[in-house]
Amino acid sequence: MTTPLLDVQDLRTVFDTKEGTVKAVDGVSFQLEAGETLGIVGESGCGKSVTALSIMRLQRPGRIVSGKVQLKGRDITKVSDAEMREIRGQEIAMIFQDPMTSMNPVLRVGFQIEEAMAAHRRFTGQQARDRVVPMLQRVRIPAAKERIKDFPHQFSGGMRQRAMIAMGVSNEPSLLIADEPTTALDVTVQASIIELLRDISRELRAAVILITHNMALVASLCNRVIVMYAGRIVEQGPTRAIFKNPQHPYTWSLLRSMPRMDEVGKERLVSIRGVPPDLGKLPTGCKFHPRCRFKVDRCLTEEPPLAEVDPEQLARCWVLMKNVPNPEMQS
Amino acid sequence: MLDPTSLPEIELPGSPFEGDTSRPAQSFWNESWERLRANRIGVAAGVLILILALIAIAAPIFSLVLTHFDPTRQHLIDNFRPPGHPYLLGTDELGRDTLTRLIYGGRVTLGVASLTVVLSLTLGTTVGLLAGYYGRWLDDLLMRIVDVFLAIPAIFLFILMSILFRPNAFTLAAIIASVGWGGVARLVRGEVLSVKQRDFILATRSVGAKDLRLIVRHLLPNVLPILIVAASLGVGQIILIEAALDFLGLGIQPPTPSWGNMLTNAESYFFHSGWLVVFPGVTIFITVLASNLFGNAVRDAFDPRLK
Repeated sequence: MTTPLLDVQDLRTVFDTKEGTVKAVDGVSFQLEAGETLGIVGESGCGKSVTALSIMRLQRPGRIVSGKVQLKGRDITKVSDAEMREIRGQEIAMIFQDPMTSMNPVLRVGFQIEEAMAAHRRFTGQQARDRVVPMLQRVRIPAAKERIKDFPHQFSGGMRQRAMIAMGVSNEPSLLIADEPTTALDVTVQASIIELLRDISRELRAAVILITHNMALVASLCNRVIVMYAGRIVEQGPTRAIFKNPQHPYTWSLLRSMPRMDEVGKERLVSIRGVPPDLGKLPTGCKFHPRCRFKVDRCLTEEPPLAEVDPEQLARCWVLMKNVPNPEMQS
Repeated sequence: MLDPTSLPEIELPGSPFEGDTSRPAQSFWNESWERLRANRIGVAAGVLILILALIAIAAPIFSLVLTHFDPTRQHLIDNFRPPGHPYLLGTDELGRDTLTRLIYGGRVTLGVASLTVVLSLTLGTTVGLLAGYYGRWLDDLLMRIVDVFLAIPAIFLFILMSILFRPNAFTLAAIIASVGWGGVARLVRGEVLSVKQRDFILATRSVGAKDLRLIVRHLLPNVLPILIVAASLGVGQIILIEAALDFLGLGIQPPTPSWGNMLTNAESYFFHSGWLVVFPGVTIFITVLASNLFGNAVRDAFDPRLK
């Protein structure tokens, strides 16, 4: 078996607060093959972004307390800060949620893209300068030659996100982490950004981790999905399987809470009761049980393991949706 | 009835097409500069300061062409001459020409003021950036040092320093700056703490930028506006401090003229030869007023927190 591009094992990231230690990421493990697209979904505050930041070691003020993050077989939680800087941008690049605030307002867009390359040695200064316009053209910014002299506030939100993508891929990384890349954007430009992300990752043969709470995005873009809840993976598997046969009640509820083109009029939309738990005061047993419609006594006391329910599909549940007859009736 | 033809034509907003490049590049700096230029009082004050500075720089030319006197040359026969000819603004008790001394005094006063600003901004900014960016123990250490400096009663420090170092323009600037940098450091640190939280710093880190690059290229330009404001508002205050020290004999020593030390002796002759007090006093007053007005205008134009 070949080594995967990224192998995360039992990653735990905590934040020290006045109320005590908060486990934002609690034992997350997954693998990612080269060129693969993985979706990480879940509600706000369930640890998606912290997982991504921990992979880049940008989780400060949080601390990675245990676990391995192996990139091409090298554990990058152990490398020096200087080596980590070389990995950021060159091996792993990140695209952030809000393009409005992710660019430095006082520096010209062209300069900021050039800077992403200048921070590394893959390109010489001259090469970096020459690559700025083609990079912007590649992300389909019209009149790129003139626009490199613009400041970020002269770009629209969609254009800024394109520029951020250009910045991210300028060093041709093998892994691109997109943290809710379309959440802050107008619905009309979301599709074009996603399309761009897909095309450019294919061109570069880069793997993508797409963090989102938009299930539709996952369906259209990802090979595999990880569903997170309260800092844990609760379900994981191929996109098709997850959408067709969600086994964890949380995944099932997420899917029931949004309209689906392929099942028009069949089912009513169902909301998930309550809010995600406070990570400082987690419930006992299964962390989802206070909101779960299908819980049994065991869920209150004992946390289920992430177990195989199908080849390739894992779920962290004592009940499993396949064992619930007529789930719609119970909601 | 509403006649559709009588309705005024509605101008549709320009095409929202993403690639519209018709607007000229308007940076923060351009905008601020435009705002500053629109402020008439501010511009007038700025021009006045510029003129004073030019006169001070060109002092030898002025004394050669306009006043024909040397600032330290005594004309004992002509002491206490009222303003007139050939002493345009009169003479002092040793027969030295007041106008010439004012012009040369401007060199000292404005020179010390600018040097002080440069020194305290450089030190304060460096300390503020380091403390704000690295945080933790370095922040604690540097800020406690700042607290110590800010807690020292300035006037005693001035007296002590003046005794230890014979004051000239450079030591005087260093002395005043040693008191002023603490405030700048606090200001910069506070701004860095807020800028540091912004997403673009994280984004810049995510492309693998080094600390030095982050501090110099990303944090510094973002604190520059408040530095400009601090500098322009500080000048007036520094001129006053400098004049006060000179007046008390703790600053620039005679016979080198400064606006402050010209007042030292003049005070004894206030009723006898009032111009000796009035001219340096008014010069200081106008300069400080212009500095403050200009400083306010700069703040209105540049301070990002006012927007």
